[in-house]
Amino acid sequence: MKKSSLIVLVSVLTIIPFIALLDVPGYAKSAPSLGGLPFFYWYQIMWLFLATALFGSAALMWNRTEESE
Amino acid sequence: MLSYLGIGIFIALFVVFVFLGVWGRNYKKGDLRKMDEWAVGGRHFSVWIVWFLVGADLYTAYTFIAIPSSVFGVGAIYFYAVPYVALTFGVAMWAMPKLWKISKKNGYVTAADFIKGYSKSSLLAVLVAIVGIVAELPYIGLQIVGMLSVLTVMLQGIGNIGLVTDTALIISFVILAAFTFFNGLRGATLTAIFKDAIILLSVAIVVIVVASTTNIANAFTLASATGHHYILLPSQFNAYWSLFLMSALALYLYPHAVTGSLSAKSPKVLRTSQSLLPLYGVGLAFLALFGVFVYANPSAMSFLTTHYLPTSRGTYVVPALIFYTLPSWLTGFAFLGIFIGGLVPASIMAISQSNLLTSNIIKEFRPNLKGSTETWIAKIAAVIFIFIAVGFVFIFPLTYSVQLQLLGGIIILQTLPSLFIGLITDKMHKYALSLGLLVGLGFGFYFMEVANHYSTWTTTLIQTNTEFGPFFIGLFALLANLIVVGVGTLVFNYAGKKGNAAPAPAKE
Repeated sequence: MKKSSLIVLVSVLTIIPFIALLDVPGYAKSAPSLGGLPFFYWYQIMWLFLATALFGSAALMWNRTEESE
Repeated sequence: MLSYLGIGIFIALFVVFVFLGVWGRNYKKGDLRKMDEWAVGGRHFSVWIVWFLVGADLYTAYTFIAIPSSVFGVGAIYFYAVPYVALTFGVAMWAMPKLWKISKKNGYVTAADFIKGYSKSSLLAVLVAIVGIVAELPYIGLQIVGMLSVLTVMLQGIGNIGLVTDTALIISFVILAAFTFFNGLRGATLTAIFKDAIILLSVAIVVIVVASTTNIANAFTLASATGHHYILLPSQFNAYWSLFLMSALALYLYPHAVTGSLSAKSPKVLRTSQSLLPLYGVGLAFLALFGVFVYANPSAMSFLTTHYLPTSRGTYVVPALIFYTLPSWLTGFAFLGIFIGGLVPASIMAISQSNLLTSNIIKEFRPNLKGSTETWIAKIAAVIFIFIAVGFVFIFPLTYSVQLQLLGGIIILQTLPSLFIGLITDKMHKYALSLGLLVGLGFGFYFMEVANHYSTWTTTLIQTNTEFGPFFIGLFALLANLIVVGVGTLVFNYAGKKGNAAPAPAKE
C-alpha cells in the first residue's frame, strides 16, 4: 500500500469512533434498552468493541506497511 | 467485618504478590542500581507485557472506586469514563510510537527530555517536568483513596469509623511507600500481571454474579428515584463530551503513561498493544454501572447509609456490593485486586515523578550527578511524593474523589502543546509554549476557584449559561493555552526577525 493512502485509511479508521461517541445527543436516550440496560449505556459499551476492532485493524495495516518499507 | 477466611485470603495473596515483586527483580536480570533499569525496566518488554502494563494503569482506583462512586452519587455524566477509554488509545496509537522512535534514537527517558531536545529550551523542559510531577500528585491521592476504601470496608466493626479510616490510611501509605522504594518498575511489571489476573477474574465473577442477581431495569428505576439523572439531560451534553475528550487527550501526557510506552520493545509492539486496549473498558463500564446496580441491593444500601455520610458514601459502593454479593473467600480475593489496583499504579506514578525530578530538574542544575546518588535521590523522592499525595486525599470529599483525577487532567493538559504539537512540528516558539503553559495553568486554577465559589472543591465543571450548560474546565484552560502558543509564536517570531537581521537558520 502506498504511504499516502495508508495514512488516509488509518485516519478514517481512527476517526470513526470519535464521531460515533461525540454525537452525544444521538445516543443520550433510554430506548431501546437491552436486558434492562438503557440505550445510552449499551451503545457506548458496544463502541468499546468496535473501537478495538477499528484501531486494531488500523495498527495492523500500519505495522505491515512499515515492515515492507 | 469480613470473615477471617476472607481476611486470610487477602493477606495470603498479598504475601504472594510481595514475593513476586521481590522475585521480579531477578526477572530478565538487570542492575537495579542503574537509573534506567529502575525506571523503564531496560526497554525490552514484549507486546503482551506492555498490554498488561498499560492495562494495569487503566484498572486503578479510578475504575474501581472513583467512577462508580460518582455514578452512584451524581448520575450518568460520570459514565464519561467509557468513551474516554474507548478514544484515548486512538490518540495514543498516533502519538506514542512516534515519541518512542525519537526517544530511542536520542536516549530520551521522559517527555521533558524530548521537549528539551527539539525546543532547545531548558526552561520549557523544566516547566513540563514540574507540571508532570504536580499533575501526578492528585492522581496518586486517588489511588490511596482506593486502597483506603477497601481496607475500611474490610475492617468495618473493629472500632469507631474514625479509627478504622485512620488505620486504613496509615497501612495504605506504609505499604505503598515501601513497595515503591524497594521495587521500581521491574517489580511492578511482574506484579501487574498477577494483579491483572486477579482483577480480571474478580471483575468477571462479580459482574456475572451481580448482573445475574440484579434486576437491572429495577435498579435504574430505584436509582432514578433519588433525583439523579441516569440518562443525560441536554444541559449535560457539553460537560459530557468535554470531560471524555479532554481526558482522552490527557492520559498519554502523564509521565507514567510516557514511561509505560517507552518501555515497549518496538513502536509496532506499542501500537498494537495500544490499539487493543479499549477492550479493557468493558470491565470499567460494568464497574461504573455498579453505581446504579447497588440501588437494587438492599443489604449493601443499608450498610452504606448506616455507616457513611453522603460525602464519603459513594467511595464504598463497589467494596460493599462485592461484600454483600460474593462469598467471603471470593470477597477477600476481589478486595486484594482493588487494593493492589491502587498500589501498583500509584507506585508507577511515583517512580515517573522521581524520574522527572532527577533527570530533568536536578540534572539540569547539577549535570555531573553520580549514577548511584541519582538512584538514591530518586528513591527517597518517590517516598516523599507519596507522602505529599496523601495530603490530596483530603482536598475533595471522598465521594467526589474522581475530581482528583480530573484536577490532574486540567494540569497535565497544559503540556499538550509542548508534547503532542511538538511531535508534529518544531515551529512553535519556545517562549510561546512556556507562556501558554503558564497561562493555561493560571486559567485552570482560577476557573476551579470560580466554579467552586472559592470554597471546598467538589467539581471540575464550570457553568456557562443555561443553554450550553457546564463544561469541563480543562477544555477552557487548554484553549487559552493554545491561543497563547499560536499568537505568541507569531509575535515572538516577528520580534525576533525585527531584532535580528540575519535570516533564521534553515530547519533540517
